[in-house]
Amino acid sequence: MNKVKKFLYSQKAAPYVFILPFVLTILLFWLFPIGNGVLLSFQDVLKDKWVGFDNYSRLLTDKMFFKAVYNSLKYMIGTLILLIPFPLLFASMLNSKLMKGQGFFKSVYFLPALTSVVVAGTIFRLMFGEMDTSLANQIMELLGKSPIKWLKGEWTGYFALLIVACWRWTGVNILYFLAGLQSIPTDIYEAASIDGASKWQQFIKISFPLVKPTTVYVLTISIYAGLSMFLESFMLWKGNNSPQNIGLTIVGYLYRQGIEKRAMGYACAVGLVLLLVVMVINMIQLIATGTFKKEER
Amino acid sequence: MKKKVLAAVLCAAMAGSMLAGCGGKSDGDKKETGRREMEVEGDNVTTLNVWTFIENHQDFYTEMAEKWNEENPDKKVKLVLSNMAYDDMHNKLSLALESGEGAPDVVDIELGKFPAFTTGQIGLMDLTDAIEPYKDKVVESRLDLYAKDGKYYGFPTHVGTTVAFYNTEELEAAGIDYTAIKTWEDFKNAGIKYKEATGKTFAAAETTAQWTLNLMLAQKGGSYLKEDGSLDVNNDTMAECLQYLKDMQTAGALDTIAGGQPDNEEAYPLYNSGDVAAAIMPFWQTSRYTSYMTDLKGKVAIAVPPVWGDNDAVKTIGGGGTGTAVVASGEHADLAAEVFAYIKLSDEASHEIYNVLGFDPVNTEVWTDTALTENPDNQFVQYFNTKPFNALLEVQDSIGLLDCYTDEKMPSINNVFTTQTLNDIFESDVDVKEALDSAQDTLENEFAE
Amino acid sequence: MAAEAIGKSQKRKNKMATIGMVIFFSILAILIIIPVYAIVLASFKPGNHLLQYGLNLNLDVANMTLDNYVLLFTGSHDYWIWFGNSLLLTVITVVLTLLVSSFVAYGFAAYDFKGKNFFFVIVLIILSIPFEVIMLPLYKQISSWGMMDNYAAVVVPFLAHASTIFFFRQYLLGLPKSLIEAGRIDGCTEYGIFFRLIVPIMKPAFSAMAILNGMNAWNNYLWPLLVIRSSEKYTLTIGLNTLINPYGDNYSLLVVGSVFSIIPIFILFICFQRYFIEGMTAGAVKE
Repeated sequence: MNKVKKFLYSQKAAPYVFILPFVLTILLFWLFPIGNGVLLSFQDVLKDKWVGFDNYSRLLTDKMFFKAVYNSLKYMIGTLILLIPFPLLFASMLNSKLMKGQGFFKSVYFLPALTSVVVAGTIFRLMFGEMDTSLANQIMELLGKSPIKWLKGEWTGYFALLIVACWRWTGVNILYFLAGLQSIPTDIYEAASIDGASKWQQFIKISFPLVKPTTVYVLTISIYAGLSMFLESFMLWKGNNSPQNIGLTIVGYLYRQGIEKRAMGYACAVGLVLLLVVMVINMIQLIATGTFKKEER
Repeated sequence: MKKKVLAAVLCAAMAGSMLAGCGGKSDGDKKETGRREMEVEGDNVTTLNVWTFIENHQDFYTEMAEKWNEENPDKKVKLVLSNMAYDDMHNKLSLALESGEGAPDVVDIELGKFPAFTTGQIGLMDLTDAIEPYKDKVVESRLDLYAKDGKYYGFPTHVGTTVAFYNTEELEAAGIDYTAIKTWEDFKNAGIKYKEATGKTFAAAETTAQWTLNLMLAQKGGSYLKEDGSLDVNNDTMAECLQYLKDMQTAGALDTIAGGQPDNEEAYPLYNSGDVAAAIMPFWQTSRYTSYMTDLKGKVAIAVPPVWGDNDAVKTIGGGGTGTAVVASGEHADLAAEVFAYIKLSDEASHEIYNVLGFDPVNTEVWTDTALTENPDNQFVQYFNTKPFNALLEVQDSIGLLDCYTDEKMPSINNVFTTQTLNDIFESDVDVKEALDSAQDTLENEFAE
Repeated sequence: MAAEAIGKSQKRKNKMATIGMVIFFSILAILIIIPVYAIVLASFKPGNHLLQYGLNLNLDVANMTLDNYVLLFTGSHDYWIWFGNSLLLTVITVVLTLLVSSFVAYGFAAYDFKGKNFFFVIVLIILSIPFEVIMLPLYKQISSWGMMDNYAAVVVPFLAHASTIFFFRQYLLGLPKSLIEAGRIDGCTEYGIFFRLIVPIMKPAFSAMAILNGMNAWNNYLWPLLVIRSSEKYTLTIGLNTLINPYGDNYSLLVVGSVFSIIPIFILFICFQRYFIEGMTAGAVKE
């Protein structure tokens, strides 16, 4: 007994004791479920039988699944276009010595990240209501256009989703980039300034390359979050059933099949495809941005 | 410092909006939400957990359970009622039944979802015996809705006879006499005339439900499935009905509305303000009128719904519904079945179903009991400017049913129709046949047919 | 002379730039505040107005009322039960997650041991797996273990939180190893060193992660929705979502409840702004 105790307290065993909770949770709550998910994806859970690759071959001919993949990809690309360059630009403007009230703006821009998606989605659903008096349609009226059924059209619905994403994440991404920019020594800018480089040139030649680690990080989490988006759409359309499935995402389809239709096996196949897509896209992105090379050094 | 400035600005903004709010008048009525517990005195009281997705049902169950307790002091029950969102409740139930854990004793299951719970391993109790004492008084087709292989799994709440609701004030102003609307042709012409006269919407082209479509379909003897139960959503009868609705929309008699159908929180205000004048809905829409369209009191008439002609298969159908089921694994399942058979099917229940909920009871003997149906104190009698049951009695002998609604494929079919097909047709002007073929295709993939 | 003129015009230019930027960022700030302002405004209007007119910025003073707030504080509903549940769950989650994650992170940061890199790579891999992939099998597993409708099922699977571990490890790597050596010389056990010496100096890192985890726990929705069944255990997000129901007229409570759900986090944010931002941006600047 004493021996065990002594061993556990030894410097050799201690690190394993420290990481034990992690190893346990990983085994029980990540690896086990993933393994289970793989097994389930070869089963028809309701009928409780093995079906081989049936779930996967059904996926290949399932138009609704492709629609979900298409919607998720479309959303991800939209968020990448809107939520990386602009926050980077805004952050470098905020970081400028000429800018006043930086702290105040930082706080305000962070505000949306404090709200839950449940609340945010409800707010935007009501703002994009189809009645003439909803905020979105009041703006259309100001622009001299007729009211729109925002959440019933493919592209207007997409627009609403992107607005929610921008509202929630612009500020956070600005903060990410600000943190990255502030780690760049100011004398580099001073030297460039003395050499006669304009602000824009400084942004392109100095800021942009030097915040690359931050950009890669933001890119990675944006890809991840974009592809696995679900709640935003779930709240904006008051549930998982949007008109013509314009708000259906991969995770939404997983939820519909697994929870709403109890086709757990099929849903697990959807989940594994999602995992594959996320991994592949992230891999391509990490190779393209040269992150791997740097680590090999 | 900056923090303080920010805080001050925000506080000021909040205080400002609060001050702005002080002058207002109050008109909101307070509603209970979520969980409710009955108070029952005495020992030997059995607690039953009940899940619902319609708040009104809580009042009704509580009231009837109190009656039960009075009559059966030896078998008192205490109901603990939880009300949840529609999708959540059904999802949770299926998960609970699957895992055998956390299920309630009694649960309201919506008709469209019911078949999902009577396939595979059935977790619901066979209620045939509990129904027996009441069986001969009840419309049998409503029991069949919640049956599988000759066993009953749910207590019906109402017939849900599909009728027409007309806003008489708006229609009169447009010079339309609703009593003259007998056929779909009349309905269409009235709609066109109304649109021309007022520029407003006559009735809804439904995108999130099929109340009107199902009525038309049943009148023509159509279905969503073939005789052998295989998928047949793109059949000619279906296409004819939808094309007729589409033509009505093109002519101006119908428009798509917010919420997609009359029974929706976004649609109630439209009806309430007179922006939409007519609704083809099951009889239980009465309770939505009295609860959510209070401005229309004394301005709404209930009429027999339009028909195609004299040779229709049926005049109307029962629409929607909630089957109250008992979970088989529940500790007190037998008592729960007995109590809820009383709560939903007894004579007292039939009276209360009308008094509290405004539904057309499955016990049709009650329909002719004028002391009840024409009781001047009844809120529904007071609200509508026709006698609510007159329309029902006119069609009583010809209330049909879309048999396919008991099929396990129906929840998926409804899902495809209300997300994709109806939106394709009424919002995006996709060709009817094309939209239906695409629906058939999607569903065939799902059921591997 | 010339230099002075250049300086002056440069100064003016700079001033213009400052004004331009302040105006630009103020507009952006207004755009970001509008939805919050709209929902606060809506909480003073009758709930059914929201369904009829949608959410807008009309200052319809004649129809404004404090009814929703009266309902919130005096009406009979479960809002405060949900609120209490959320608060409880958030506190439990934060305390346990921080404790376990820091414990693990210390293992990674303070020792060299066999398999260390292997395990650390697993941390990184888990960071890149969407939770939704394991959601359903995990759900099935939780249910077969009889952990349904139990707060433990909401909290335990995420106790060793990969990104929190990652952050703590980065933080601990910056600490001098001599501290640990000193502890050993003083006769502390390995665990004594962690609890007596390390935990106290990790305070800033704890604050940042407490806020980040707290925010996530408070706003968590999907997983608790699946795991929690009885309505008396509902959290605020789940509860609020039950109000969005076609069979009830609950928008009054929904709107005012939504506003109130933001308030606790908002107060925390005002007080601990620095830590919020630190915690949020922790992953973005890797060495």
